[in-house]
Amino acid sequence: MTAPIKTAGNEPGAPATVSPAKKIEGRSLGQIAWTRFKRDKIAVAGGVVVILLILLAVLAKPIEALFGLDPDALHQDPDILDANLGGLPIGNWGGMSWDHPLGVDPLQGRDLLSRAIEGSWVSLLVAFGATVLSNTIGTVLGVMAGYYGGWVDTVISRIMDVFLAFPLLLFAIAISTSLQGGAFGLHGLPLHIMVLIFVIGFFNWPYMGRIVRGQTLSLREREFVHAARSLGARGPFILFKELLPNLVGPILVYSTLLIPTNILFEAGLSFLGVGIQPPQASWGGMLNDAIKYYQVDPQYMVVPGLAIFLTVLAFNLLGDGLRDALDPKSN
Amino acid sequence: MFAYIIRRTFAALLLILVVSAVTFAIFFLLPRIAGETSDQLAAQYIGKNPSPEAIAAVKKNLGFDQPLYSQYWNFLKGLVGGAEYKFGPDPVTCHVPCFGYSFKNHLEVWPELTKRIPVTLSLAIGAAVLWLVSGVTTGVISALKPRSIFDRLAMGVALAGVSLPVFFTGALLLTVFSYEWPILDNLQYVNFTDDPIMWARNLILPWISLAFLYSALYARLTRAGMLETMSEDYIRTARAKGLVERKVVTRHGLRAALTPVVTIFGMDLGLLLGGALITEQVFSLQGIGAFAVQAIADNDLPKILGVTLLAAFFIVVCNLVVDLLYALVDPRVRLS
Amino acid sequence: MRRSRTVALTAAAAAAVLIVTGCSSGTKSSDTSSSGTSAAGGADAATKNIVNASDKKGGTVTYEMKGTPDSFDPGNTYYAYIYNFSRLYGRPLTTFNPAAGEDGNKLVPDLAENMGQPSADGLTWTYKLRAGLKYDDGTPITSKDVKYAVERSNFAPDVNSNGPTYFKELLVDNPTPYEGPYKDKTGDLKSIETPDDLTIVFHLKHAFADFDYLVSAPQTVPVPQAKDDGANYVKHVVSSGTYKFESYDDGKQLTLVPNTNWDKSTDPIRKQLADKIVVKMGIEQSTIDKDLIAGNAQVDLVGGGVDPQTQAQILQNQKLKASTDNAYGGRLVYTAINTKVAPFDNIECRKAVQYAIDKTSVQLTLGGPIRGAIANTVLPPDIPGHQDFNTWETKDNKGDLDKAKAALKACGKPDGFNTVLTARTERDPEVQAATAIQAALKKIGVNAEIQKFPQGKYFSDNAGVPQFTQDHNIGLMMMQWGADWPTGYGFLQQIVDGRAIKASGNSNLAQLNDPDINKLIDDAATNTDKAAREKIYAQIDKKVMDQAVYVPLTDFKVFLYRPDSATNLASTPAFSGEYDYLNIGTTK
Repeated sequence: MTAPIKTAGNEPGAPATVSPAKKIEGRSLGQIAWTRFKRDKIAVAGGVVVILLILLAVLAKPIEALFGLDPDALHQDPDILDANLGGLPIGNWGGMSWDHPLGVDPLQGRDLLSRAIEGSWVSLLVAFGATVLSNTIGTVLGVMAGYYGGWVDTVISRIMDVFLAFPLLLFAIAISTSLQGGAFGLHGLPLHIMVLIFVIGFFNWPYMGRIVRGQTLSLREREFVHAARSLGARGPFILFKELLPNLVGPILVYSTLLIPTNILFEAGLSFLGVGIQPPQASWGGMLNDAIKYYQVDPQYMVVPGLAIFLTVLAFNLLGDGLRDALDPKSN
Repeated sequence: MFAYIIRRTFAALLLILVVSAVTFAIFFLLPRIAGETSDQLAAQYIGKNPSPEAIAAVKKNLGFDQPLYSQYWNFLKGLVGGAEYKFGPDPVTCHVPCFGYSFKNHLEVWPELTKRIPVTLSLAIGAAVLWLVSGVTTGVISALKPRSIFDRLAMGVALAGVSLPVFFTGALLLTVFSYEWPILDNLQYVNFTDDPIMWARNLILPWISLAFLYSALYARLTRAGMLETMSEDYIRTARAKGLVERKVVTRHGLRAALTPVVTIFGMDLGLLLGGALITEQVFSLQGIGAFAVQAIADNDLPKILGVTLLAAFFIVVCNLVVDLLYALVDPRVRLS
Repeated sequence: MRRSRTVALTAAAAAAVLIVTGCSSGTKSSDTSSSGTSAAGGADAATKNIVNASDKKGGTVTYEMKGTPDSFDPGNTYYAYIYNFSRLYGRPLTTFNPAAGEDGNKLVPDLAENMGQPSADGLTWTYKLRAGLKYDDGTPITSKDVKYAVERSNFAPDVNSNGPTYFKELLVDNPTPYEGPYKDKTGDLKSIETPDDLTIVFHLKHAFADFDYLVSAPQTVPVPQAKDDGANYVKHVVSSGTYKFESYDDGKQLTLVPNTNWDKSTDPIRKQLADKIVVKMGIEQSTIDKDLIAGNAQVDLVGGGVDPQTQAQILQNQKLKASTDNAYGGRLVYTAINTKVAPFDNIECRKAVQYAIDKTSVQLTLGGPIRGAIANTVLPPDIPGHQDFNTWETKDNKGDLDKAKAALKACGKPDGFNTVLTARTERDPEVQAATAIQAALKKIGVNAEIQKFPQGKYFSDNAGVPQFTQDHNIGLMMMQWGADWPTGYGFLQQIVDGRAIKASGNSNLAQLNDPDINKLIDDAATNTDKAAREKIYAQIDKKVMDQAVYVPLTDFKVFLYRPDSATNLASTPAFSGEYDYLNIGTTK
């Protein structure tokens, strides 16, 4: 996570692997891709987990209500936390019990299962939001640069260079820190989520921009674009009707691969203490807290650690599968 | 070639200049978005019970009373010509290159940074060597024997590697090797020149946790590149003219496959040199990243600016080196 | 409040007119060398006696610390541990007796040969320096250097900004305000006189009974003007104590070696045992703990106690536990209720909070009984005058929802209300305690939104700015408070005296301004009888609690590991429960 954009930057940055599929008579691109995707059992598994995770995130609040879970409730009874040991959970596995299947956290005795569930929506919301933001900016500017070329391309490309030269994480921390108290009429959780989406999304767009620009450059010279142009189609029409649909594949693949990166990024910021603020549960925040107890309560860090790992892994599997399915050159 | 180097270097310098200007502007604007006046900003640099005169003095010293562009201009001037601030019996000199002067603890930023560069450098270079070697080797072997057990296993591990946050891997490593079986405990940074063995011993865990993440990526990247190049025509030609397979792989296949790897390596290394924030935090290393985090926590503007600029500098320089290397290897690049 | 190093504390709050009594509470001279000693130890031994008492010379005493201090310059620091440590290379006019427990709170003359002599009106304090004192370079120490030290530390906030400015507030200023020795090289502060090289006279704006405590700050450690180069002085501090600077590497290491010009005959309290003293900075707390246990280091300079993980390991090991000290840190952890923000202007709503908070829960989030004893009074137990009582008693301190709800009803808010609770970002325990309070208040329908602010701005911009708290509906504020010197006045005045409320840098967070309490503060300062004064402090404490403006949570405790390799260890309440650093030697 030290250089979070790297997955973002590189993975899809290997341009050879993301190239537009050639049309085959009779079946649409989507159909072919779907057939190929279905054959990839691991990717399908990843997809299923992703869907489950999204469901969990969306339904986190109802689930908590249904099972009576309260992620912020303190459980400090003497049989749960040992006051004389400085508030460590009692029992071998970080205080695991029927009441608290994943144990509780030290000092406050909050239920880790509830907190892990609560953390899911925060993580996914930030990751999706940031992905949408950077993909929107990246796509619009990338298409413009690629399609118009000339000075437009030069200006946009230079802007991307400048963005890529920024120490992203540093900026993210600085911005999140200074806007912590309140800004734009917001404060508390909504502000933190918004700031996170902004800093992660806004500084990541050039990666998307570069890919889209490259794709557009090659598409621009293709026959169907020439055809449309000779039929009198104007810039915007060509951009939106001819180019964009052909860019959906790579954008989709890239998004699926960007989401896990952004999840890691959010976790990293929360880990550094500048992301989501306690008492709101978030995976990165839990890890930040847990690492203080890595010697005496190592089970604690396993819960958020595994949650992040499984989520990111599932998205990566899905993304890999989608890329292979959309790329006729891969196996 | 010479003209190309000059042109690229010039462009890189310009880029740094733009980045520094934007950085300056952002940090100028941020506190205002958060609703702070320049008086409050200045007051942070004084401490207890600041008198209005003291605030005015600091504002003048820091140039808070001047417009943004002239503050930036002064900053640039300090960078090449040093700066002087009036404090105490003698004015304080901020020596060239003046990356700023922290009024909070009366320190020049540049010497503070140079103190920490060896830590981050050791961390980044060591990890980079580790991940390049392991990542590229794994990638090549996997590509040469696609779908073999090794390939599947390696790619599985690689996928796990890119999915693990470094602060989790790091913490796990610490738990296992520094606490449960304390073979690597008491990790304190030691200068390479003081004791190379302790230096390596105390950095091995951070290296591994960083390298685990990166080598996974590089293995995937190398594998993809190798698969692609090995199916190219010129490889067939090379084989046809009777070249030993080992030479085909190293001289023809690998060279082309590594091109994207090197590009990304330049970016990664540049980013890391500007501070491996999280890794430094997990292993309590006092590098550039820790400095940055502290500076931000203290809201010490001159330090934040200095460290951001240094980080940007590393990124741009690493990219520049990669570009120049390309030009050296591939004449087409410098012509385009 | 140097302990947690807040901003802007001015002692002599403008209006508090004190008439000095001539009774300097610290003068009861005790034989400094004979506080009870013990060699064996056992848990908490050093909170009662000097453990491992020894005159063995030689060896290197290693101090380690997390992070870096504000400064080692005696005139530019506000950390208790530097107040403590700086006495190795600087002698203030008075200082605390190096002893454990109550004995450690006793003030003794140091650079001065006696405690201060106040004039009849209490406006003039005279100190006589010991004869024959020398700096480490052999030049004589004069009273002018003490005067200069006070000037540079209090009147040059742009150079030496870290320390408090009590002297500046208390001393009579020049007709044209004095601008400090750096800006005004010819002039000086007229209200400090040095009639001869051994005499120094302070002229105060108004009487101040605790003046002897004030001059125990390292700000009276003599500084030769010729050697002072402002911000750089820290690199080569001139020593008047047992040790002198050998090398100083900023942010990394400080090395001290014996000062050969220090003369035992001029110094009844110091011993010069170790051959060398090394301070290593920027070390992780867990590493420091390991080094202490392994004997590689003798002292954790910050003295804030071991890491929670080490603590848990030590507590599970009887042998290690026997080498620990769990001492009060002279500090109260509390929640201030803002009397100027509705509905807390109504005492019933304040009562509701007093009753609702589950103190055992808060105590646990702060780390359990090891890290603090549940508090029900404002004065901590290690401050003379403390009395036990409990105005808003609930069963087992667990809170009483029925009483709380009844109080809410009486307040006219039976369904609760919304408010804001502030805490300092960098302080995890404080934020966690705020979380526990938030959870408790939720049970009576009071929704407290937690807002965090950086500790560097907490008092200057946020909680310490009454206007800001009003504008942002900040009804509750997390707070810790420790006195700069261990008297009831030193502890209470800034947080309960209505005349101490400031527009910025305010410490009286509740904005409590009760004429009775203000009067009692003045009474205490004018009373000549120490016992009577201490009674008044308890009275003030009760009155403050009657107003229900502060919710005392815990009396902070530190959990220190006491290495076998260190000698003369005594945990002293005068320095937040830290070991007294004056005479620590090593057996190694």
